[in-house]
Amino acid sequence: MNPGLAVLQARLGSRFSTDPEHLRTWGCDWTRAFAPQPAAVVWPADTSEVADILALCSHHHLAVVPSGGRTGLAAAAVATNGEIVLSLDRLQHLGPVDLAGRTVTVGAGVANQALQDHLRPFGLWWPVDLASKGSAQIGGNLATNAGGLRVLRYGHARHWLLGVQAVTMAGEVLELGGPLVKDNSGYALAQLLAGSEGTLAVITQATLALAPLPGPTQTLLLACPSLAAVVETLTWLRGRPIVIDAFEVFSEFCLQHVARHTGQRRPLPTTAPWYALVEFEDPQSLEIDTILTGLLEGGAVSDGAVAVDRQHSARLWQWRERITESLQAFTPHKNDIAVPVAALPAFGADLLAWLDQQPHPHPLPVAVFGHVGDGNLHINTLRPAEWTTERFALACKSLDDDLFALVAAHRGSISAEHGIGLVKKPWLHLTRGPAELAVMRATKRAWDPQGLLNPGKIFDL
Amino acid sequence: MKILVSAKRVSDPNAKLAISGDGKWVEGDVEYVMNYFCENAIECALALAEEHGDVETVALGIGDSDETGRFVRQGALARGIDRGIVVSADEGTIDSDLIARVYQKIVEKESPDLVLIGKQSVDGDSNQVGQLLAEYLDWPQATFASKVELKGDQVEVTREVDGGLEVVSLSLPCVITADLRLNEPRFASLAGIMKAKKKPLDEYELDDLDLGDAAPKVRIAKMTTPSGRKSGVLVKDVDDLVAKLRGEARVI
Repeated sequence: MNPGLAVLQARLGSRFSTDPEHLRTWGCDWTRAFAPQPAAVVWPADTSEVADILALCSHHHLAVVPSGGRTGLAAAAVATNGEIVLSLDRLQHLGPVDLAGRTVTVGAGVANQALQDHLRPFGLWWPVDLASKGSAQIGGNLATNAGGLRVLRYGHARHWLLGVQAVTMAGEVLELGGPLVKDNSGYALAQLLAGSEGTLAVITQATLALAPLPGPTQTLLLACPSLAAVVETLTWLRGRPIVIDAFEVFSEFCLQHVARHTGQRRPLPTTAPWYALVEFEDPQSLEIDTILTGLLEGGAVSDGAVAVDRQHSARLWQWRERITESLQAFTPHKNDIAVPVAALPAFGADLLAWLDQQPHPHPLPVAVFGHVGDGNLHINTLRPAEWTTERFALACKSLDDDLFALVAAHRGSISAEHGIGLVKKPWLHLTRGPAELAVMRATKRAWDPQGLLNPGKIFDL
Repeated sequence: MKILVSAKRVSDPNAKLAISGDGKWVEGDVEYVMNYFCENAIECALALAEEHGDVETVALGIGDSDETGRFVRQGALARGIDRGIVVSADEGTIDSDLIARVYQKIVEKESPDLVLIGKQSVDGDSNQVGQLLAEYLDWPQATFASKVELKGDQVEVTREVDGGLEVVSLSLPCVITADLRLNEPRFASLAGIMKAKKKPLDEYELDDLDLGDAAPKVRIAKMTTPSGRKSGVLVKDVDDLVAKLRGEARVI
């Protein structure tokens, strides 16, 4: 056994664990394709303890996997190889809200929802809105450059990041950026950490830019005969004098799964192949009338439900937000691709044609949902109950080869918001060239010369 | 057949309310939603109309005339209720008794066969209007309905009572108060929202209703917010937990 483990245990006491239950829980994220096998889990209490732990691990040549709310979908926070899992759960500091500058500084372990609760009394929020906001932590949101439900209006997590405090594998504490809105002085290293999936440094604290809470919003669930009709509806709405907060899509197949999972009555009396969930800031009521009339008469929408108050809006959102959990029992293989919004109808047609031609005797059920406004689709393949994990994994691998070729042909991305982690590593070269990958590897070596921080994630060195 | 159904707006139970300085009302921007139990009453009226045909449905809202009108239109008429009635009143002072007497006057004007009311509002929590109305009208009543079936000139109502269900049969006309498990309310449809704009919405002032004494009998003396939750403690081990549960919490 590595002698560093005993040193860590002596240093941290009950905040060090090798309990198999803890190793299983903290050793992985929401993915289930890789078995967690960490050597230990540690829960540092503050930044200086993070620095001590990382220096100690460097000294003893122990690899470290940083871990947040463990809601990631790319296996970027999975420890498969005897690493030390460094949980940021205890970094719960919620700093005072700076109302003039609209910033706040918080610990990496603060849950997204806890941050929003902290900000709400000031009429502010951090506009990274995730279905998993109850568990997902700010450090993880930043390290994965999380997107979520409001990217259309607000952009990814990196757009609302001003500065981070981060610790390198050598135990060096870096203060990168801060509550400065303007700061053109050298490389923006805090931004480099956004989306680095814990491979460059451990984020311990972040200074975030904040936005005013949106005004009253109008939520609609629209039924559309095709993906082309969904995009046509988006195009039409973008031409209206409204601010669109979210434009989500899901298939009838997803709706059926949520209905079964929640036992709720279907939201519309009619069925359609596709549904769009739209939310926009409520303009004057006159404008809404023209919008609803336009939707009804435009021909791209066959039916629709309108939320008349906040409670209805929350109920409509359930149909989108609960898709992931309703599919969980089928241990889905998840893809998170993006194509240019304008290419969505053509991509959608190719995708459906390809699904119809699946070479297997029993075509695999596929759930398609996502953020149409961003050109981002989550394509989940469900495992038939009688299939072994191995048979399913093999089938998915071959499906992925085809799917990603299709994505590359439409000039898309193989990972829109989930990241690369372990899950998408084999296909990164499809959309990132050799020269670009070489720069990424050199960057990794500059931050972590020993290659001990979250090794094997995104790419191999 | 005609059904009169309640459509009350309430402050959003998920929002944090601030109590005004004199402790008698809330202040600041209050976000409103349709009272959950009224949603059940509306859904029940619509389902009965769909099942039996030839049923006219009328929704009644009492309160700030513009805002209540908007709620009646969007929350009731847009879902399929045929007509709306709004009685303008100050929501801060009107009490359950006055609301029941307003209902009585509207019932006398409209002569419905059935009045469906949410069993209580989720903000005031009084749970009085349906019962008072049945008394004033001298009609039979069934409260806490989880199932309503029309059988000729009778209505069979399943009621949620402590430890089980009770099935009662009432003759029409009658008053029924709706409970949460009665049904799952539908959403307003796009087409429904557009149609609702053309549906009739009658408005009355309290003075129009010949109520006699329209002064409320109950006034809010004082409101307080719930006391904050005590912060938790970390226990050392199982023995410590048991000792605390027994000694401090006194739950075992």
